Amino acid sequence: MVFNSLRAGRYIHRFWGTSTLSLDSFCAFGYPVICSRMKEIKVKDASTWCTLVPDGEPHIQSVCEDHKCSSVSVKSTPEIEKKYVHRVYDAIAPHFSSTRFAKWPKVAAFLESLPTGSLVLDAGCGNGKYLGLNSSCYFIGCDISPPLIKICVDKGHEALVADAVNLPYRTNFGDAAISIAVLHHLSTENRRKKAIEELVRVVRKGGLVLITVWAVEQEDKSLLTKWTPLTEKHVEEWRGPRSPCVRCPSSFSLESIPETEENGLSGHMKDSRESLMEDMQQSACLNPQNKDDSLVSKDGRSQQEYFVPWHLPYHRAEVSGASAVALATGLAKKDDKKGAVVYNRYYHVFGEGELERLVSGMDNAVIVDKFYDKSNCGSLCTLFMVEFGFSNMKNEIKKLLVKDTSPSLK
Amino acid sequence: MRLLTHNILSSNIKGVTNGFPLGIEVEKVVEKQVEINHDFLRNIFPKIDWKAFSDASKIMGYVELPEEAPEPSVLDSDLDFLRKFHHALLELHLEEGALVCPQTGRKFPVNKGIPNMLLHEDEV
Repeated sequence: MVFNSLRAGRYIHRFWGTSTLSLDSFCAFGYPVICSRMKEIKVKDASTWCTLVPDGEPHIQSVCEDHKCSSVSVKSTPEIEKKYVHRVYDAIAPHFSSTRFAKWPKVAAFLESLPTGSLVLDAGCGNGKYLGLNSSCYFIGCDISPPLIKICVDKGHEALVADAVNLPYRTNFGDAAISIAVLHHLSTENRRKKAIEELVRVVRKGGLVLITVWAVEQEDKSLLTKWTPLTEKHVEEWRGPRSPCVRCPSSFSLESIPETEENGLSGHMKDSRESLMEDMQQSACLNPQNKDDSLVSKDGRSQQEYFVPWHLPYHRAEVSGASAVALATGLAKKDDKKGAVVYNRYYHVFGEGELERLVSGMDNAVIVDKFYDKSNCGSLCTLFMVEFGFSNMKNEIKKLLVKDTSPSLK
Repeated sequence: MRLLTHNILSSNIKGVTNGFPLGIEVEKVVEKQVEINHDFLRNIFPKIDWKAFSDASKIMGYVELPEEAPEPSVLDSDLDFLRKFHHALLELHLEEGALVCPQTGRKFPVNKGIPNMLLHEDEV
């Protein structure tokens, strides 16, 4: 929401207005930052100071007297997602779709294992890669991006435009639900939690949910060093037809963020004290063994918020006309050398055990399996959940299921 | 949008306690044939809210379905019923029109077969 981010912006700008700080020392206050290099941003001195808890009661500092912060629903889309997820996918949809053809084996195996007549809900279906994968099941895909849904429907699939944080489906109706590479585009923990709750809600008791996200954890920790380039050279390597990997192209991404008041908070994704505390706790647990701990900032806190560039070739950009608007408003930048319009996509990269923690906190769902998939040039944490009505039997049933469930689900 | 999809959709507007079934406003219905799968239909049948389904099919212009849900055994014995069930469930598409929240009357547009269920800021 505009209101949400502007308020957060003022909070941060007021802080910055008092002294010139290097981003490194700002890190000391625990705000996750994209880049270790500072860019001084001149801002107006704000008269109010108000912290917002995005989906709860407003927490108003003593300074804030003449402004009222209204409580914002967890279902309201934050500005960062509107700009760096929604609008980007809308603009790049056909090009994006053309790069999304490889099906991850674990997801395919899961879908193929479902019984005939299963109702499968794909929340955040993108270009519909998995819709209809099992021809004996009925798939309904939904995505927040109308251009992507159009691609699904043109292929003959059943799809609609909807929000993963607020699914328009009856409770306990589906047999299975999948969320493939979606949750990492949600910018607050409460929204990610809500999306998981929705997946469980729409599935019947005993149904299955499969979630995959980009995560930092690796079975082999030494891979972490290869996985995080900071230079443009590395970004270019992975720019090809395969899925762009999640990276921290720190200096690269900061340059592509325009210097407006709103974007002054480019380094500061979290806009509440609550999530600030979560970050500090989380990073206390993360202790990578690698020498080049580029994912971890100077004082040991982990970086999880990223902008990942998408290069939309010029000949593709003309089609929608959205790129012209994006360039004019500063949402995207031209790269003549590469002949592409460069967009940034927002990612929250999941940390060690983060997805598991979110799911474990739910009374009516149980983790059946989890694994990592390195095949897609990154690390992927995948969970299966079985939903039960009897939470006191959770552990007993879990033991049984883990014994029976083979990795290939056949 | 097929009627099987309609059978799962519900209004998710803030404060709405009974968002199912959504009303249908028809501007254009299209028929698209798909191969019949008996196993699929037998498995799907118990999940369907029959009243919502049969009412919706009438609005879409198809009146062949019985008012009351038949016994499941009919699916094995009555091929004619199976074909009608299949046709209404999977072959009728709402191309243009709207879905209507039964509690608030709010319309969700359907264009080129795609329902848009996104809510406005004040509805969340």
